[in-house]
Amino acid sequence: MTDRSELVALVGHPNVGKSTLFNALTGGRAKVGNYPGITVDFQQGSFRTPHGRRLELVDLPGCLSLDGDSPDQEVTRRAIHGEIEQLPAPDLVIAVVDASSLERHLPLVIELLELGKPLVVALNRVDLAERDGLRLEPDKLSEELGVPVVPLRADAGKGIVELKQSLRTPLPAPSQRDWSDTAARRDTAHRIAAVAARRATAHHETTSDRLDRVLLHPVLGWLVFLAIMFVLFWSIFSFASVPMGWIEAGQEWLVGVVEGAMAEGDLRDLLTSGIIEGVGAVVIFLPQILMLFFFIGLLESTGYMARAAYLMDGFMARVGLSGKAFLPLLSSYACAIPGVMATRTIPSAKERLVTIFVAPWMSCSARLPVYLLLIPMLLGGRESTAVQSLVMLGVYALGTLTAFFVARLLRGRLGPDEVEQHFMLELPSYQAPQWGYILRHVLDRGAAFLRKAGTVILGIVILLWAAQTYPKSDSDDPAEQLSHTVVGRVSDAIEPVVRPLGFDGRTGTAVITSFAAREVFVGSMAVLFSVDESDDEAETRDRIRERIAAETWPDGSPMFDIPAVLSLLVFYIYALQCLPTTAVVAREAGSWKWAIGQFVFMSLFAALASLVVYQVGSLIAGS
Amino acid sequence: MKPARIPDLELDSLTSLSKARVGCDFQIRAVSGPGCDQLRKLGFCESLQVRKLAHGRNLICSVCGTRLAVSRQLAEQVLVSPVAA
Ligand SMILES: Nc1nc2c(ncn2[C@@H]2O[C@H](COP(=O)(O)OP(=O)(O)OP(=O)(O)O)[C@@H](O)[C@H]2O)c(=O)[nH]1
Ligand SMILES: [Mg+2]
Repeated sequence: MTDRSELVALVGHPNVGKSTLFNALTGGRAKVGNYPGITVDFQQGSFRTPHGRRLELVDLPGCLSLDGDSPDQEVTRRAIHGEIEQLPAPDLVIAVVDASSLERHLPLVIELLELGKPLVVALNRVDLAERDGLRLEPDKLSEELGVPVVPLRADAGKGIVELKQSLRTPLPAPSQRDWSDTAARRDTAHRIAAVAARRATAHHETTSDRLDRVLLHPVLGWLVFLAIMFVLFWSIFSFASVPMGWIEAGQEWLVGVVEGAMAEGDLRDLLTSGIIEGVGAVVIFLPQILMLFFFIGLLESTGYMARAAYLMDGFMARVGLSGKAFLPLLSSYACAIPGVMATRTIPSAKERLVTIFVAPWMSCSARLPVYLLLIPMLLGGRESTAVQSLVMLGVYALGTLTAFFVARLLRGRLGPDEVEQHFMLELPSYQAPQWGYILRHVLDRGAAFLRKAGTVILGIVILLWAAQTYPKSDSDDPAEQLSHTVVGRVSDAIEPVVRPLGFDGRTGTAVITSFAAREVFVGSMAVLFSVDESDDEAETRDRIRERIAAETWPDGSPMFDIPAVLSLLVFYIYALQCLPTTAVVAREAGSWKWAIGQFVFMSLFAALASLVVYQVGSLIAGS
Repeated sequence: MKPARIPDLELDSLTSLSKARVGCDFQIRAVSGPGCDQLRKLGFCESLQVRKLAHGRNLICSVCGTRLAVSRQLAEQVLVSPVAA
């Protein structure tokens, strides 16, 4: 095809604002954050120049040079050379540079010039350069480099029109120059920088330097770090209870409407105790999941995330990882998939494999509904939010510590890197959180969660409801009717297997359904344990937790005593019940063996841990 | 590798960045060792100025207005001389 629109590629160091610029040009939704290495894959969009030409744009991961060896930088290199299948070779490159630090950024620009492709330099972050007292001379820079230079402030949308105007095509290719060796390239870069961006003083202390003195302090820094982590979990419990109340009220209102409008029967039962109960039981945790994404977004946006990685480096080194593994692991608390993707920024291949392997043990947000259902049961529902947060922190700590322990073992077995890797990280300037981006990201994740609730969870809840309603028996006794249904038979069959873990057949069934998605467990429990009560119209609808907590074994002893709830908790901390994660692990690790090994290992580990906890717990409780 | 252009006599008077004093400005005189490529890409190049901001397992420096954290082993490969204040 000859009339395809031309492709423009955004290339630059990590964190200079490529994705911000991508969004400003295309109106796209690329993820932005104040941490080097947010973008790890290419993303496409398109826009029109003022002359009405349509151009394709591709946002690429940041790179310091074109020969970097981590997988994210490899994406960039391959994209520039047109080696990515879905992506033609770019016709034009926009080199995004940080105006406040030209000396560091120009060597890459020169490397790009040597490619001989048309090039435009986007001189971003002019606001920071001005703040630092730099005398910027874009014209001189343009003259020296022989390509157009456009000063801009991508985050405020300034200079975008000028940039679009400069993309007049066909662009002349820059005059071929070859500096041939990197030292010559660097010398040229420094000479040009000295002309185009004169520094008034070598250094002056910025607010970020002052903040860092506290936040990176060997003692104070850790106190702040721990306080931030505690507030994160505490707020998940306390702030989110208000919107949760609304969702609950809405759910009750909906049941009322359905019950008022429909005659008693299977269909009404499907709607109320199947769909509304089951899906509602999961959706109610939406606010808490959003809070988690919000907090992680906040840490990324302000620039604190890089500091946390710096602080954690020493700790991570003891288990054979580095500070670079911190962001992938922390984002796995929200969802393991972006977490596993983020491991692309880790330069050491072995460290990357190990990080991918243990990432699913950072409890992801899909486990939150399960934890939030179980933890109050453990405490009898009377304890304050502070105590609940502490238990929650313990749950997260257990998963995390086991992950570190396994990482250490695994790292020891894989042996040292061929090329020794050292920690190095840019610590970006602190900035006020970008509420717009955070909000959009949170909303996107919320929508994804609701989509899941509307598809996977809804589907399973309906199936489950049908499985425990049919086939009908002639008996009027609900218990006898239940044992006649599919669910009744299945749970009778699996009860002997799951009994040593402390579960009855129904809980066992719920656990099995949660291999489709972890949150399904809560919906399944709501459906499976709503049977006894559904014939009693007058009874006020108990919250599902209270209903489950009141369940007893046939001998009258409580079914969900402390060992049983602990056993369930431990199972969910360790089990890898997420097919998309397994698929992404296979892709990122480049090996299905690794992914399947991880799945089998984690499932067995979960079952075993659960068994030990229940058996030991029961012994202690019984003695 | 490129041979260092600095006479041996002068090399002796240089300190490594890992041993340099916190809070002072330095000029980078030589970068040599197994990590020198990485260091240069990051911005630790000969003739640039650097201010050391913190000691530790990873030290923090400011190069051309950018704060960078680098491990001590890497910083040992950066030789600096003080800049008169
Ligand atoms: N002060 C200032 N900040 C900017 C400007 N442009 C972008 N930023 C901020 O820089 C940070 C990084 O922006 P991104 O667009 O995520 O950077 P990126 O180049 O895509 O980074 P990676 O994907 O990690 O390589 C964000 O917090 C932006 O708000 C600018 O012109 N001025
Ligand atoms: Mg980006």
